[in-house]
Amino acid sequence: MKKLFVYLAAIGCITALSACGSGKTAKFTPPDGKLDKCSLRFSWWGGDDRHEATLAALKLWEQKHPDITIIPEYGGWDGWTEKVSSQISGGTAPDVMQVNYDWLVSLSPEGDGFYDLGLLADRLDLSVFDDEVLSFGRMNGKLNAVTVSVSGRGLFYNSETFRKCGVSYPETWSELLAAGEKMSAQGCCPLDLDIQSGSTAWYLAVVYVQQQTGRQFVTMDGELGFTEDDVRAALDFYRELEDCGVTRTVRERANEDGNAALYQSPSFIDGRVGGVLEWGSSVGKYDMVLPEGTLTAGAFLRCDNGESGGWMIKPSVLYAISKDTEYPDEAAAFMDFMLSDPECAALLGTTRGIPASQRAEKALETGGLLGGLANDSDELLEELDTVTISPYMELPAVKELCNSAIEKVSYGKADTAQAAKELYTSAEEYLRKVRK
Amino acid sequence: MKKRSYRNPVGVGKYTGLLLIMPFIIGFSAFTLYPFAASFVLGLTDYDGVHSPGFIGADNFADMLAGSEFRGAVWTTLKYTLVLVPLKLAVSLLAAVLLNAEIKGMGVYRTIFYVPSILGSNLAIVIMWQFLFTSGGLADQIMESVGLPAIGWYGSSGSAMAIIVLLRLWEFGSAMILFLNALRDIPAEYYDAAKVDGCGRIRAFFRITLPLLGRVMFLNLVLQTIAAMQEFSAPYMITGGGPMKSTYTIGMLIYDEMFRFHNVGYANAVSWAFFVLVTAIVLVLFAVTRRRRGEDT
Repeated sequence: MKKLFVYLAAIGCITALSACGSGKTAKFTPPDGKLDKCSLRFSWWGGDDRHEATLAALKLWEQKHPDITIIPEYGGWDGWTEKVSSQISGGTAPDVMQVNYDWLVSLSPEGDGFYDLGLLADRLDLSVFDDEVLSFGRMNGKLNAVTVSVSGRGLFYNSETFRKCGVSYPETWSELLAAGEKMSAQGCCPLDLDIQSGSTAWYLAVVYVQQQTGRQFVTMDGELGFTEDDVRAALDFYRELEDCGVTRTVRERANEDGNAALYQSPSFIDGRVGGVLEWGSSVGKYDMVLPEGTLTAGAFLRCDNGESGGWMIKPSVLYAISKDTEYPDEAAAFMDFMLSDPECAALLGTTRGIPASQRAEKALETGGLLGGLANDSDELLEELDTVTISPYMELPAVKELCNSAIEKVSYGKADTAQAAKELYTSAEEYLRKVRK
Repeated sequence: MKKRSYRNPVGVGKYTGLLLIMPFIIGFSAFTLYPFAASFVLGLTDYDGVHSPGFIGADNFADMLAGSEFRGAVWTTLKYTLVLVPLKLAVSLLAAVLLNAEIKGMGVYRTIFYVPSILGSNLAIVIMWQFLFTSGGLADQIMESVGLPAIGWYGSSGSAMAIIVLLRLWEFGSAMILFLNALRDIPAEYYDAAKVDGCGRIRAFFRITLPLLGRVMFLNLVLQTIAAMQEFSAPYMITGGGPMKSTYTIGMLIYDEMFRFHNVGYANAVSWAFFVLVTAIVLVLFAVTRRRRGEDT
């Protein structure tokens, strides 16, 4: 018996390493040009508004294609990356999935982590996308994903809170600081900045420094674009935001909301927190918890000298097909439906932002559906000289380092010079490792 | 009387026993032994879930010991265990003693006390627990009703840890059931004799009950220590490991490294270090309590 266990343990050790590479050798199914009867799994994350619209779109798909059943898998953003990346590593990924921009870098650095959509051009109409939009989904020359929408993080304010406090929406950074002082005296604050998965505290501080210096925090190649002084300036600015009452301190925020998402917290729903920095494509979940028309888009802040650059855009979400799918033609047809079908576009509205597909955008325009917060924010963004966010900045480990620096500064556990040094050194080291 | 004979349906042979336990061996090998061995091998690689793994020897273990993250998580886990386990043993023992009384409807009380242990693993309860401690939540209202100032529960290390300890303390049912069974096994004659000798209830508890519960106490101590050291879901959902990583347990570190940061090799190395740590603690518990357990026999 002892021998048996020894043999089993040895087999375990030997096969462990080979099992790791199983994803690489998984069976690849080439397209056959036919649409067979099958079931496809489709996964996405989002708020209730996106879930409801997507489920309605799936019903429409099944009316049009009764032979191809779609099994939906959906949930909130927190923990979603972990769920899908384990599915991909384990070879059990959904056939079609909504993916985040940084997943391409972390899960498909050589372009072979997802199905090459270039092979599915018969089913997937790529002519309705700009070349620049398509380039976001290319890894190592292979089209791994198609951009659903391009958007930027914008400022959305609770108009009722601002009205009660007698404050106008800020247009410059100085006006934001002044609004913070005035509103905090009345028990409110103009903005919520977090150190959770959104990492909006660091994001806003980065925009401020990018606007001042013209340098990107992390470049598109994954190099650190900021100097250590820039990192310190960002942390100094964040502390100023707290000091002026623009946002709650990390401690106050934790005490009031725990670990809950802002749109679930009483502070936001009651209107004590007067604004949020959010992607145009995801702001619907905040809008839903407030009385209709209360949340409105504010200006992208600029310097007193009028400089308005530094704000970032990215493909807010993309669709990809699993490299392990057995039904590439069917998956491509479904993806095309979700991206560009006019009737589907009307059902989805702007729950994933303003569609990048020209056909879908036209359908929304014709139907008078191209409005709402996402559109308002996008229109304001179009007037600016934006920079494309680096997918490396979105990596969870980079966000964690930035959040940790913000937390230390907020709790007074480190001054901004110490925190900047630590963040700069560790971010540089980590980025060097992932670029290998 | 005629001796009955049984026919072995699979035939008596050298491997009959092995054949009969094969279902267990297959399951154990596939779902325990293989992952266990594979985890160790992966801990010696730089596997990231995407690229092919490369052998890097003990680098992950060296990085783990050199970095502050692992030490911080170990310290947090130990602190949490040291606070929770004695409290849980005390509360579950107290509840068991109270529920051992022979009064009408005791079954209902026992069920009620056990319910939190079933509910506690439910994520909905964990989320509800989270909202009890936010500003103006039920915890604050209770504090105010007894004239105490409201506490900012999540903002400071001690109170954030207390939220998680309280949740797990509330789930004392399993330990209580073990104590209750052991209490019911103590012969009533011992107490009758003690009473005749003029021994009071409290003295009887310390002189009779506690010594006779030694083995169950040890069993509960080991089970609760292992469970506490594996804590993951409560800090993950309730505090996110904060503030300032003060509730960041080893379970959370392994999860983050594995699933968020894709450091699969490192996460497996941490898992093995964690396994060694838990084993060492259990062995120490065995050694420390050997004499007392020996006296009970």
